[in-house]
Amino acid sequence: MTVTIEATAFAADRVKVKRRRRRIRGSSIAILVFLTMCAAFVSVPLYVVIVTSFKTMDQIAQGQIFSLPTEWTLEPWRYAWSQTCAGMTCKGVSAGFWTSLKILFPSLLLSIGVSSVTGYALALWKINWAGTFLFILFLCAFVPFQIIMIPLVVLVSSLGIFGTVWAVALVHAILSMPLLTLIFRNFYKDIPDEIIKAAIMDCGSFWKIFLEIILPMSANIMIVVLILMITSVWNDYLIGLTFGGVGTQPMTVILANTVITSFGEVRYNVNMAAALLTAIPPLVVYFGLGKFFVEGITAGAIKG
Amino acid sequence: MAIRWSWASPRIALIPALTTTAVAFLGAILWTIWISFTRSRRFPEYTIDLSSWSRQYERLFNDSSWTTALGNILVLAIGNALAILFGFILAAMIEREKRGEGFFRTIFLYPLALSLIVTGIAWRWIFNPDLGVQNFLRGLGWESANFNWLADTRTAMYGIILASIWHGLGFYMALMLAGLKSINSEIWSAARLDGVSLWKLYTEIIIPMMKFTFLTCAILLSLGVVKTYDIVLAMTNGGPGTSTWTPAYFVVNSFGARGNIGYASAAAVIMLLMTAALFLPLMLVTAWQARRREGRTL
Amino acid sequence: MPDVEFRNIVKRFGSLTVLEKLNLKIADGEFLVLLGPSGCGKTTLLNMLAGLQETSDGTIAIGNRDVTDLDPKDRGLAMVFQSYALYPTKTVKGNLLFGLSAQKLDKAEMQRRVEWASKLLQIDALLDRKPAQLSGGQRQRVAIGRALVKNVDVFLFDEPLSNLDAKLRTEMRLEIKRLHNELKKTIVFVTHDQIEAMTMATRIAVMNSGVIQQIGTPDEIYERPKNLFVASFIGSPAMNMVPATVVANGGTCVARHEPSGVPLHLSRYQFEHQPKTGQNVIAGMRPEHFSVGEMPEEACGAYFELPVRYTEKTGSDVTAFLESGGGLIAVRFDSKHYHVPAAGERLRVSYPADKFDLFDPKTEVRI
Repeated sequence: MTVTIEATAFAADRVKVKRRRRRIRGSSIAILVFLTMCAAFVSVPLYVVIVTSFKTMDQIAQGQIFSLPTEWTLEPWRYAWSQTCAGMTCKGVSAGFWTSLKILFPSLLLSIGVSSVTGYALALWKINWAGTFLFILFLCAFVPFQIIMIPLVVLVSSLGIFGTVWAVALVHAILSMPLLTLIFRNFYKDIPDEIIKAAIMDCGSFWKIFLEIILPMSANIMIVVLILMITSVWNDYLIGLTFGGVGTQPMTVILANTVITSFGEVRYNVNMAAALLTAIPPLVVYFGLGKFFVEGITAGAIKG
Repeated sequence: MAIRWSWASPRIALIPALTTTAVAFLGAILWTIWISFTRSRRFPEYTIDLSSWSRQYERLFNDSSWTTALGNILVLAIGNALAILFGFILAAMIEREKRGEGFFRTIFLYPLALSLIVTGIAWRWIFNPDLGVQNFLRGLGWESANFNWLADTRTAMYGIILASIWHGLGFYMALMLAGLKSINSEIWSAARLDGVSLWKLYTEIIIPMMKFTFLTCAILLSLGVVKTYDIVLAMTNGGPGTSTWTPAYFVVNSFGARGNIGYASAAAVIMLLMTAALFLPLMLVTAWQARRREGRTL
Repeated sequence: MPDVEFRNIVKRFGSLTVLEKLNLKIADGEFLVLLGPSGCGKTTLLNMLAGLQETSDGTIAIGNRDVTDLDPKDRGLAMVFQSYALYPTKTVKGNLLFGLSAQKLDKAEMQRRVEWASKLLQIDALLDRKPAQLSGGQRQRVAIGRALVKNVDVFLFDEPLSNLDAKLRTEMRLEIKRLHNELKKTIVFVTHDQIEAMTMATRIAVMNSGVIQQIGTPDEIYERPKNLFVASFIGSPAMNMVPATVVANGGTCVARHEPSGVPLHLSRYQFEHQPKTGQNVIAGMRPEHFSVGEMPEEACGAYFELPVRYTEKTGSDVTAFLESGGGLIAVRFDSKHYHVPAAGERLRVSYPADKFDLFDPKTEVRI
């Protein structure tokens, strides 16, 4: 007994010694310093935007871009939210916020609904042309939006919904379908073969198996896909610009109109506040669910 | 014979996806290709004048803003390659140090959560000649500091490149980190036992082992560059003049501002061709990797 | 009452033919084991019966119904899988109830069946747990329970015991056998483990490369293997196969063991067809039938005195490997009654005259 205890104590000692030695290694410090500098560089733009949004125009005019606000003010935020002008209308970016939400929910529902069912059918049910179809989806996932933009405008107009939030949501769902289907399919094909076989023998209903067995097993991938979709729909500009009409433009479009094509005196603090208001929802998602976010983008990139 | 639902149900469930693929992707692409050979202007015309079927393309390649756009994506691609390089360096450092991995990853990756419009607006503000970095540096005594890049046709692209690197750096770092982590840890131990120098370890062992990750990054980057639009719009809106136009910007501009469907379609078809040319190697890489993976499990 | 019948079943994967014109009839209430090495087509056969794989040609009938083109759920079968295939997000009870979802039953009947099956399998205390919270043996019981609640006439088992450790496997073997005796249902059981087959089956179908080599009771398979494959696949240690030549024919048939020249007395052997003098045969001798020393002359079929190469001891049994020509002859005996021979020692063993198995070396069929 005593021998073993001594031995472990000795081992623990050695581990400590080793650790202590690692802690003082110069290269470690050099690496950490370098990484911290890079992190600072990456953080600077966000910092600048945040401090500017709380400054008064008077202070901004003095040109100290990196300094903290001498007098913190929420006025630019209030003004950006409800009063700033985008083109001809001066209702702030809040209108765009609600429009973006109205676009987000139907597009999430539609794209995740269709893609998960498609991925499930392709991964777990015997369909002899599944391979071919997956390959075509793989190709479609990389098609630049511009090549199908104009015919989609024609198509959506013929459906009579051009210029509504439904058009924007539908186009988002269409564009994301190939990639999401591939992600779902890759997730579902790792479900053990025998579980689906058992379910086919027990129940046999395609939909019931999906709802009762497969969907409850998909929590992780659902979060990943949800994050991927929320950020990409919220951050989109071109689809919203092309398919949204007056009054149904998402927040990014309102923001761009406010900042880029505005006339008269420029209120930088208001612009920065408007940009931050637009950035907050995806940032909240990112900082809240970062692990899944990383999974989402790498899944979207590599497996796609 | 009764319907076998186990046969029919999954096929019925695929109808929405099949329809979408057939109409919104394949059909739409064919539509655009067809239109690019017609004389369509504001509204689509479907007759092809066989004597001058290539007129849109001829006009396109005589259009100086189109050639500028083509040149710009080349510049963008080369500039953005820095993001891959820095991404790898950061990933290698994070992987080596391990301490603070979560923290650094979170910091380096957050720009990706921002829309390119917000990114562009933030950098536009930093590049502001009167109140931005240039003014700050001159205030510090560096009188000749010139950061008014966006206003100059020669430097505007570099501003856009800087902002794109800032936005995409974390993405490549995350891919590289994943690649580094998939390397068998015994290799590090073996290299340490053999007394291989760090430089040699990376240049002769690690980087060659990660060549597929690098290739994947490079192709994803190129595919992204072809589509560049939002960041240009937010930072320079194509200007000064047409100096920062990209093909994607060109297409949207021809369709939206000029209202010329045929012309926009022709430019879009060229974009598709470029994507296809980049896509082929990606497919080969994927197929190659799949075969390697199979070989390993056998 | 349902018997199961395969008629001229063909299965192709692309250009590869896995099963060619296979016929098999399983009587009602039978416990049929499909036994064979991996890749022999036994699981494919089971999956086709279940409807999980399509047949390329031929028909499958259960009772009088042709089920070849029916959906799996409509075939009146239940199946237990190798990995148990429990639904991870459902409780034990949820798993059992989902097994019933293809049948339109009222709530009380479903409840009654779940209670009955869980009592029978002693899992009634586990009904609210998730599969992840169960041990391997408990999962196996739940998987069987999910099949039982369906109250069907034919049960399929796909190597259900291969993921269990040795002790649990013995326990579940008895359990499954007990269920068969109690419920009198038809069972089709796929395995590559001959012990499972020998202990549980009422009949065994030995398969190799897509062909049923022999079908019969465990005793028939063991005592009268139809060909070399069955003879060498059944029995552990494997049967000794030695070349021999028939030297005298007629009243007393004698063959000569080729490497050693030892005569094999075959008078008691029941020939399917009488061999000719001079014909080459392969004589099969099971290690466990040997006895050490001599035996009465009329019972003795062969007597060897050969040097021991090495021995293996498994508890009370000893297997000695004797050198004979180029090959080895395995001999198994009880170590309680005989001392364990050292390597190099010469051991005298005799083989009973009524225990030979003779095969044609060319056709590999029993003579």
